[in-house]
Parts: sequence; structure tokens; C-alpha cells
Amino acid sequence: MCGRCPNFTDNSLTRRSLLAGGAMGAAALHTGVAEARVRPEDMVPLVGPGFKPTDTDEKGLWKEMDRVEEEVAGSNLLITDPKITGYLKSLIATVGGPAAQDFRIYLARIPDFNAMMFPTGFAVVFSGLLLRMRNEAQLAGVIAHEAGHFLRRHMIRSWRDERRKTDIFSVAAMAAGLGGAAAGAYLGDYVQLAELGTILSLFKYSREMEAEADAMGIKNMAAAGYAPMEMSDIWQQLIGEEDASARYRGKHRHKGGIFDTHPSEGSRMVDLKADAIELTVPGRKYEDYRERYLATIGPIRPMLLDDQVKLNDPGASQYVIETLAEEGWNGLLRFYEGEVWRLRNRPGDDIRADQSYAAAVAYPDAPAEAWRWHGISLMKQGRTGEAKGAFARYLQMKPDAPDAAWVRQMATS
Amino acid sequence: MRRITLLAAALSLSACSSLGGGDYGFSEYSLVRAGQVSVGDGSMAVITPRPWNRHRPIFFEDIRQVEDWTQNGPLLDGMSFVTGLKNGKSLIRQRHSASQQVPLFRSNMTPPEIAAMIESLYRVRGGAVDFRTLSLEPHPFLGTSGFQLDYEHLDDDELWRRGRAVGAVIDGRLYMIVLDAAKSHYFDAALPDFEAVDASARLKA
Repeated sequence: MCGRCPNFTDNSLTRRSLLAGGAMGAAALHTGVAEARVRPEDMVPLVGPGFKPTDTDEKGLWKEMDRVEEEVAGSNLLITDPKITGYLKSLIATVGGPAAQDFRIYLARIPDFNAMMFPTGFAVVFSGLLLRMRNEAQLAGVIAHEAGHFLRRHMIRSWRDERRKTDIFSVAAMAAGLGGAAAGAYLGDYVQLAELGTILSLFKYSREMEAEADAMGIKNMAAAGYAPMEMSDIWQQLIGEEDASARYRGKHRHKGGIFDTHPSEGSRMVDLKADAIELTVPGRKYEDYRERYLATIGPIRPMLLDDQVKLNDPGASQYVIETLAEEGWNGLLRFYEGEVWRLRNRPGDDIRADQSYAAAVAYPDAPAEAWRWHGISLMKQGRTGEAKGAFARYLQMKPDAPDAAWVRQMATS
Repeated sequence: MRRITLLAAALSLSACSSLGGGDYGFSEYSLVRAGQVSVGDGSMAVITPRPWNRHRPIFFEDIRQVEDWTQNGPLLDGMSFVTGLKNGKSLIRQRHSASQQVPLFRSNMTPPEIAAMIESLYRVRGGAVDFRTLSLEPHPFLGTSGFQLDYEHLDDDELWRRGRAVGAVIDGRLYMIVLDAAKSHYFDAALPDFEAVDASARLKA
């Protein structure tokens, strides 16, 4: 009904902030920022352990950010499972360089590929990131990149730069001036935690800063023994997903002018590959710690898949599922593949969904819901006897299912 | 934050305020008096025990078969009517190019599929980050065997909301009434009205 809110009709910008560092990346290119690769060996942290600001403007900024952190820490959108949050803390403590012990990290239940670092050293990771990372090295890579922004003092640098340009002297005044639209573009319209979106939009990283964070991050990641090549794979996955999403809706990923002018993410991937080769010490063993990652994330993986697939973004969801399935299909992934088709709901998708459900229930790890949808699919085909069997299996696995009353009616009618 | 005043998109109060109401000399709401009233495209009639506020249809975003009411404003509560949504249509107007879309209604949908469509509506357009189905059970509606879906969802404004949808597919078209309100106080406060409206709903000849 609210056709007067056109910016709320498409949140395709959300995933971009991690990739492009926001719309400012392209703008920075136009102003002639050098595009030479930032070499990891040149990246030294600009803060030490226990860093505290001494300049007046930075002190003010930190004060504002303490309020923001308080908001974030108290949000009911956070996932607080101590096993998973403890895991994230241990990762940032591993790849956080000199500030390793100073960082805080929060996990928000938002089905998007994103993570961000705040000026005072607390990071927010979106649950959609945990769905997409294939191993611990990839997750550590993203976290190391975010930590890199802090270690290189990017927030205060960009804040001072922005302030020079706009002549606005307080965070509050600037936030008031920017309004909600900027927040929508920067963070996506999932997050409206107080003024978080608006405040974040003040920290626009230039292409150069993104390159620095990449170089700083991959250096710390490799030093911790993570396979550095995983860092460029992350970008490849993100680009692949965005392409797939756009293709399904008959549009190009390169939309809105952010990517149009330059193949920036491509060159970034190339740079990260060069970094990885440079950083690899012959004879040293690098790990991706995939098993440990899956063991930790495993319990919430069904939820992460559910949150993604129900957004009915079939291109992106299918890409994510197929990427995860490269190491092998299972009942969970087959079931969610079926869900992608069912929700897409184009002619023929019912048959595709049916095949996926049928494949899913052949695996021992098929979730109960796979049996229910398998049953509904059979019922629609007139295969009543088999449908009843599937419904019975569903009720057996989940006797207290919220829709048990309806399913029971189907199973007995 | 975006509120779907059901099936209608969200009302971001801040984003909408510059174009809303007063600036154009008309109100976004009109009064629904207690008693019998036609809803949606006029094919369904209900009896409301109390007056409600009807959301004025917005000319280029509105779905003719969908009508939204509220008692205390769409952030707190809303009752919506879907009157004969056709096969292949969506509960809300959306761009074909939008990455995330509310699934289209199909005439052969079973109640779990309609429930899933409603869930995606809240996730895609309502900013829901968590959605829990509380129950799905058979429920008589408009003199036929329909369904009742109870659910709750956590939205990006950090508020838990609760909803109930009653509906049925008749001659291939979806008829449905949905109550969605803040879980604390507002849902319970509006429930008696919703139950009366549900019980009184009938198709007009």
C-alpha cells in the first residue's frame, strides 16, 4: 500500500556494502585514487593494544559509539547462543592483530551477507554471513578484513575527511541531515536499530581503504595459519550469488552505478589472489578448519537456510545451496532446494520441488518438514496412499508440530 | 521500519510522512462504522462490533481485493481483508525485478502453502527476522472448510507481533481475514472484534 515509499520495494543494495564498501567506492575511483595493489607487507597496524582516543573529535565520536554499542548489545535481534558467539570472539581474537583482546563482536539475526566494524572496535556480523561461509578460514577472513578497518583507523580518517567536505561538526547534526534514505542504501532495510543505519552511513570507506582492509586482513589471517586463498574465494562467491540473483529476475547485477564504471570487485579478487601467493610461506601448513566450522555452525544451519530461502530470492538461494553442496548433498540441502522451487512457483516448479523433496527424504538427515511437503506434493498428484505414509512419518517425527491438526486431517481423510 | 498493513506494504511512517495525509489535503483514513460493511472489492460483507479506521487505498500500489483497517495505527494493530484474490496474483503489488518476492497465489494451494506465502510476505516486505507458526488447523470460513493460522514474528523494529489468519479458497480465489498486532496488549485487545468479524463474514450475492 505504501507506494509512496519506493525505496522499500527492493533491498538489492543490502548485500553490496561488504563487497563495495558502499557507494563511495566508485566515487573514490573518479577522484583519482591510485589503483595499485596495496601490499600486505606494507600494512602495519596504526593502533596498539588497549587503544583509546586522545583527540577531542575522536573522543566525541567514541562517546556516541558507546551509546550505539549499548543499543546493539541490548537488541533482541541478536543471536546469543554462547557457543556461537564464543566462537566468533575466539576468531576475532585470533586475527585481530594488536587489538585482538579489545574487540567485541555481535551476531545479528539478519539473513544477509554482511559484517561491519564500528569505530570503537565492536563488530556486528549478520547471520547470513554464517550461512554463506564454507569454512572457518573464510569467516576468519571476513572478520580479519573488518578488524583491518579498525587497525588502520579508517573510521576516524573517513569521518575527518567527510567533515572537511561537508562542514558539519557533530555526529548528531550530520546524522540528522542525512536522514533515513542513506541508511536504507547502506545497511539495507533490515536494520533499523535506533540510528545505527544513519550513523553507519557516516563511515564511507574509499576504495583505497577497502584495499587496505583486505591487505591488513589477509596478512593477519595468513599469520594465524588460515589458508589465505580463501579470502578471494569469498568475493567470488558473493559475486556469483549476486549474478545469480539478478539473472533470475531478468536484470544485471551492475545496477545503480555502483559497479558500472569499473570492474572493481574483479580486480579486488585478483589482488587478493596475488596477496595470497605472496603471503604463503613455503613449507608452512595452512588450514581451512572446515570440520570445526561445520560442527559449530551445524545446530543453527537449518535456521540460517530457512531465513534465506523464505525470502524467495531463488537465484541467490539456489546459488548458496549449490555452493554448500559442492562438498556433498544431504537431506537438509535437498529439502531447501525443493523449498526454493516451491516458493518460486513458476510453471513446472511444482515438479522440481517434488523431485527435491523425494530426494531429501531418502537421506537419513531429512528434516521432518521434508516429509510434510513430500506428502503434500504426493497428495496433489493424487497419490493419496503414499501421501498418507509421508504425513504419518512427519507426525511421527514431530508429533507436536504446529500444523499437526491440519496434517492429521489430511492423513485420515 | 516497514509495517505491512497486511498485504499492503509497509508503512514507514518516517519515509511516508512527507507525502502522507496533510500535504495533499486528504486523510489516509476513513471511518468504518460499527455494523455491517462491505470490504475489499465489495464481494464480502462483515459485521464489526466497534468502529475501525479504514486505510485509504493508495492509487498505484493498492490491490483492489485487499483492504486494511486499524484501530491504533498500523504499527500497533491491523485487520486486513482479502476478497477473492485470483490465481497467479500476489497479495501485494511488487516489481517483477525485485530480488525478493512474495510468492504468487495459486488456486490449488493447500493451507500450508498459503501459510508459507503469508510467512514470506512478512519476511520479504514486513522486515520479519523471525517467524514462528503457532498453529495451523481446519476452520470453517464463509460456510466452507477453511483454515486458521496463528503465528508470531519479530520485526526489525525489535517488536514481537502476533497474527491470526482465517481463510478459504473458493472457486479458485483466496478469501482471507488477517489480524496482526503487537503481541503485548494490542493483539488480545483486537481479538474479540476479529472473532466477531470472522464469524459474521459472508459472500455477497
